[in-house]
Amino acid sequence: MTFMHIGKDFLPPDVEGKVTGDAKYAEDFRREGMVFARLLTSPMPSARIVSIDASAALRMDGVIGIITADDLPPSAPPANPMLASEYVTYVGQPILAIAAISEHIAENALDMIEIEFERRDFVTDPLDSLVEGGPNAYPEGNAMVLTQPEGDENTASVGVISPVKWPAAEIEKLRLGKEPNGTFTAGWEYGELEAEFAKCDVIVEESFVTAGVPHHCMEPRTSMVYWENGKCYFHASTQSQSSVNNGLAAMLGIAPENLCIINENTGGGFGSKGTSYPTMGVAGNLSRLLNRPVQLRITREEEFYIGVGRPGMQGWIKIGAKADGQVAAVDVIIISDGGPTGQNSASSSAGHISVLYQPDAMRLRNIPVFTNTAPRGAQRGPGQNEMAAALAPIMDKVANQLGMDRVAFRRLNAANSDSGIYEDQGPVTSAFMREAIDKGAEMFNWQAKNSLPRRRGNKLVGIGVGQGYHGAGGYGYDGLLRILPSGKIVIHSGVGNLGTYSYAATSRAVAEVLQCDWGNCEIVHARTDLHLPHSSTQGGSNTIFTHSRANYVAAVDALNKLKEIAAAEFGGTVDDYSIAEERVFKTNDSTMGMSYGEAAQKAIELGGRYSGAETPDDIDPITQRAVAGIQGTGLIGVAKDNLERKGTPPGEIVGFVEIEIDIDTGKIEVLDYLAVADCGTVMHPQGFSQQMNGGGVWGIGMAAYERHVYDPQNGLPANLGLYQSKLPSMLDVPATMASAAADIPDPFNPMGGRGIGEPSQGCAVAAMTSAIADALDGHLFNRVPVTSDMIVNHVAQNTVDSVPLKINTF
Amino acid sequence: MRSHDVMPDMDLYQPIQVEDAVALAGRLGSRGWLLGGGQDTYGWLKDRAKTADAMIDLNGIESLRGISETADGIEIGALTTLTEIATNPLINARYSLLSSAAGRVASPQIRNAGTLGGNVSQDVRCWYYRRGLDCYRAGGNLCYADTPEGMNREHALFGASRCVAVNPSDTAPALVALEASMVINSVDGERVISAEDYFVGPAIDIENTTALRVGEILTAVRIPATWANATFYFEKVADRNVWDFALVSMAVAMRVSGDTIQESRFVCGGVECKPRRLLEVEDAVRGRSHDASTTELVASYASRGARPLAHNQYKAPLMNNLVRRAIETV
Amino acid sequence: MNPKITRRRFIKGVIYSASAAASGAGVYVATAASNRSNGAVERLISINVNGRTRRVDVLPQETLAHTLRYRLNLTGTKLACNRGECGACTVMIDNVANYSCSLLTHQVKGREVTTVEGLRAADGTLHPVQQAFIEELSPQCGFCTPGQVVSAAALLIANPNPTREEARQGLSGNLCRCGAYDHYLNGVMRAAELIA
Repeated sequence: MTFMHIGKDFLPPDVEGKVTGDAKYAEDFRREGMVFARLLTSPMPSARIVSIDASAALRMDGVIGIITADDLPPSAPPANPMLASEYVTYVGQPILAIAAISEHIAENALDMIEIEFERRDFVTDPLDSLVEGGPNAYPEGNAMVLTQPEGDENTASVGVISPVKWPAAEIEKLRLGKEPNGTFTAGWEYGELEAEFAKCDVIVEESFVTAGVPHHCMEPRTSMVYWENGKCYFHASTQSQSSVNNGLAAMLGIAPENLCIINENTGGGFGSKGTSYPTMGVAGNLSRLLNRPVQLRITREEEFYIGVGRPGMQGWIKIGAKADGQVAAVDVIIISDGGPTGQNSASSSAGHISVLYQPDAMRLRNIPVFTNTAPRGAQRGPGQNEMAAALAPIMDKVANQLGMDRVAFRRLNAANSDSGIYEDQGPVTSAFMREAIDKGAEMFNWQAKNSLPRRRGNKLVGIGVGQGYHGAGGYGYDGLLRILPSGKIVIHSGVGNLGTYSYAATSRAVAEVLQCDWGNCEIVHARTDLHLPHSSTQGGSNTIFTHSRANYVAAVDALNKLKEIAAAEFGGTVDDYSIAEERVFKTNDSTMGMSYGEAAQKAIELGGRYSGAETPDDIDPITQRAVAGIQGTGLIGVAKDNLERKGTPPGEIVGFVEIEIDIDTGKIEVLDYLAVADCGTVMHPQGFSQQMNGGGVWGIGMAAYERHVYDPQNGLPANLGLYQSKLPSMLDVPATMASAAADIPDPFNPMGGRGIGEPSQGCAVAAMTSAIADALDGHLFNRVPVTSDMIVNHVAQNTVDSVPLKINTF
Repeated sequence: MRSHDVMPDMDLYQPIQVEDAVALAGRLGSRGWLLGGGQDTYGWLKDRAKTADAMIDLNGIESLRGISETADGIEIGALTTLTEIATNPLINARYSLLSSAAGRVASPQIRNAGTLGGNVSQDVRCWYYRRGLDCYRAGGNLCYADTPEGMNREHALFGASRCVAVNPSDTAPALVALEASMVINSVDGERVISAEDYFVGPAIDIENTTALRVGEILTAVRIPATWANATFYFEKVADRNVWDFALVSMAVAMRVSGDTIQESRFVCGGVECKPRRLLEVEDAVRGRSHDASTTELVASYASRGARPLAHNQYKAPLMNNLVRRAIETV
Repeated sequence: MNPKITRRRFIKGVIYSASAAASGAGVYVATAASNRSNGAVERLISINVNGRTRRVDVLPQETLAHTLRYRLNLTGTKLACNRGECGACTVMIDNVANYSCSLLTHQVKGREVTTVEGLRAADGTLHPVQQAFIEELSPQCGFCTPGQVVSAAALLIANPNPTREEARQGLSGNLCRCGAYDHYLNGVMRAAELIA
């Protein structure tokens, strides 16, 4: 299909402000009478708060007020409370916020507050808690026994915190890379596992550890809030202007229609700002309490504490493959370190394997264990990307034992459009991973590179291949647009703006359907009170698929209305009408027609569903309110995405990398990186390239640099800041990175696209860990990141006295 | 350990002459904080992990800036920025060891602001200490890092005495290798000490990384002609190529004649609380050719006597590897 | 601190105090936020920002980033770490890139401060770096972008025709969590062409 707009670059309206400094983020807003709030956070990983005495602080000149958990509705663990009440469960947990006329005074006031704590036992490693007699992160226990089935990664799990313990011998087995017996609280299975293993010629068993990683978005999650006439105006840092509304309104105890979220730009989210988060509630409630605008600035240190992070995994995997290379059976155990919030992405981790290797039988056994480390949440490709990291070199081992080329092995097992995925072996919209692998292998020159000598002077050469997957789209959201009497087309979008520009790229579906000049379109977003429809969060690689569908249906609705109006004016039926150059006219007599603007004027006169006075029944209440706000201003196109569905739209990418490892220093240099996506039609080439390369940088970070480090003696995090968290700098990644796409349209998106923001990291980290093992003659570290000291020790044959499967340490 | 990041109330002095700065430093004593480029100042103060009543900003003192030729080498004002040192033609021509080291500090912006005086006088980066814990170095009576479970990947192999932190400076090993001397002023006048004596370990002074006493100001660094135009090798191994401090660094100056190493200075950073002279290596390579027989001979000399902690064993082979590389690079 | 000390004549230069009482001696200024009535005027200094002289009331310990954002409302300069670990707050001081979070405002008296807002021409024309960053779609979330823009502008002043590797070194003090490095480098190379 040839598109007018889709697949072409365009100028997203928010770029200029970013390069001039005009773009405003939550912390850039000021308001008359605004006060500055600062958080007081827990210095301890686990304690009971005995008393808080803020009287001296409140007597200070310039101090305006304070908020504690006593001012807020109670919250049951493991939900992350707005403020800690009786117990603190991690270092950095907010206990109170104090507001003053300057930030300076607020900071000084913090030191005047006295809190008495009663220390409790704490734990930073799930295995230390799971073992008999081990400490529990919560007074009630160390694991959540679910009482409701798990939802997706943005939904909190529901269950009861209970102690779950394993015999020491079973923990020891796991540490030694053997299958343990113990209590699991979650998991799934499909196929005949034992029967499939019995058919296998190669069986590989390995343990693995993946580190927790802070998100460290560049913009700390500052809030600025004020109340006016019972309405709350909230400058937020968020991944959506509409999908956080209900959660934040609930935290503030108000109806969603009384909340206006203002958020034109967000300085990174990566999953950590996809839903409303606790400090939003602190700022909003404090502002109401004080009846003053409040800025709650979040510092970098606090962003580490509360900005959530990726859960870590400790696990064991057994993979069986048949002589022909088919992966027949996979058995995986995952112990998740979800910190005190218990975020558990294990199902997605196992799902990654089910999609990319298509085993005939598979089993996941899982237990998330609470630790007194940072709260965790969804992070770019949650579950999938860390599994990609752990899995790649293990799958290489399988391929090598089979005597198969590593790329050929992956190609053989790749999913196609008829494949089933995850525990229910449900369908995908389409999948063309083999095409992506073939294209990538050719572009990267895999055959030639893979036969290179693995030694260049004091460098070891590693050639790696890896794959990333994420469910890249959803269904059923609403699209909303209006055509004004001036002829201008205004597209309303509640999708957040993290800088993927997909809010804009998907809006172009409207221009495509209406065959109009993009310069005549305007995107309205950024403020709830600009009447934004119910949209997904900008995350989960979801926007491209989800919102090009939603915008498409709204545009089709508008198109039908244009034709109906024209037919009413000039006779005939809608089928007799066409559009071109922003006119609707009779196909066989183009003089019988009107401009979009004239039709919009007619729509206003006609009222009813044309003007938005009436709305479809199936649209979300958020969209109902949005339409009510703009009704009568033009021709309204509004619809819920009821297009045909077929399971999961897969975002799949294959990555190829050439690295050099310096034998003397252990340093890894990435020489060449290519990623090829199976993501349907590339809708916005520049945005595509941004996500592919950005994910590549994230993959390098996960492979070689980033991790949570906690001191097990006192529970303190060792890497609060950006420097210690080791986010890759410009000199740690290649100066040029390459990307391409299979570019085969997805039949379930009228615009053909699927998202790729998340698997772009998974394929990169997998290619990296594959290349590292390749360079080291197949040596498996069984953990990420692989840091230079690990390589130096390996080369020197140093026996390192760290405990196997340790997590949250060096 | 409350989370802070706003500068606390402090006074600020901005003298424009050395005598005034010295007088202020003398008068304020430990209540004063010397401010050069400030790149190891603001973190401490914003965290409120360390405090002082007043900052003495030395940036207005023009005489503390610049690079000049002397009868016996060069003199570098303590306030000269690391960028100036990294790009100075004279230093590049004669003492490229120092320009290489200066050019590997942190990031371009930090090198633009950071000074040589500040780089050699910076505090240790032990994360426990930086967090404001009451460790030995902070005047307390324990070390959090030197325990079986301590997170001590970046800590010392040598010279530990209660404290196991390392000196993080990139230029310090280069200055020791070049036999630099440090010019120190106070109200009592000027004293000049060798770079080797400037850096001190915890056995001598557990609360300071340098011999600089309260009330003293480092005003200049002198580099003698001894090693001008010698054969140099500098390498810094850090996790990331920007911002990060050295896990191990190696600064080497050699006089090579034909195939023979006549004299050398091997100085290792990141393994002790001061730059570590590798005397055994220097002795062993003297008069030998820079070939495999020599690298094999000294293969494990550098790390002899190392006392690794739980997570820093890798530093021993790493320093040995860098010694070999230095000799091979000739 | 004993205020008497600060009166001594041999101390040339200027002394600022946050806590001492003010005096009219002229050799020092003494104020505190809580002590505003007592000499706040003397804390007023002039700094040159984006070609304009700005009179501004600055605490002795105040960082330039704070002054720009909170007193001059130049919020293009971002604070992402506030401790020299990211570069989002990069500004030019006399055409050299500096972290404004790690610099006192009192240190830039008599020097030219250029923020991202000061790069546009008087007629509103974008700086070549800004133009090129738009064309290459260099920014993602945009939070590190002002710092990247300023670093790139400073680089091109010092080296108008950099190689890609030189550009990479020049921008290496600016962290981008989105990982848009490749696109920023494309932007710098294009900007160099626009300037040429």
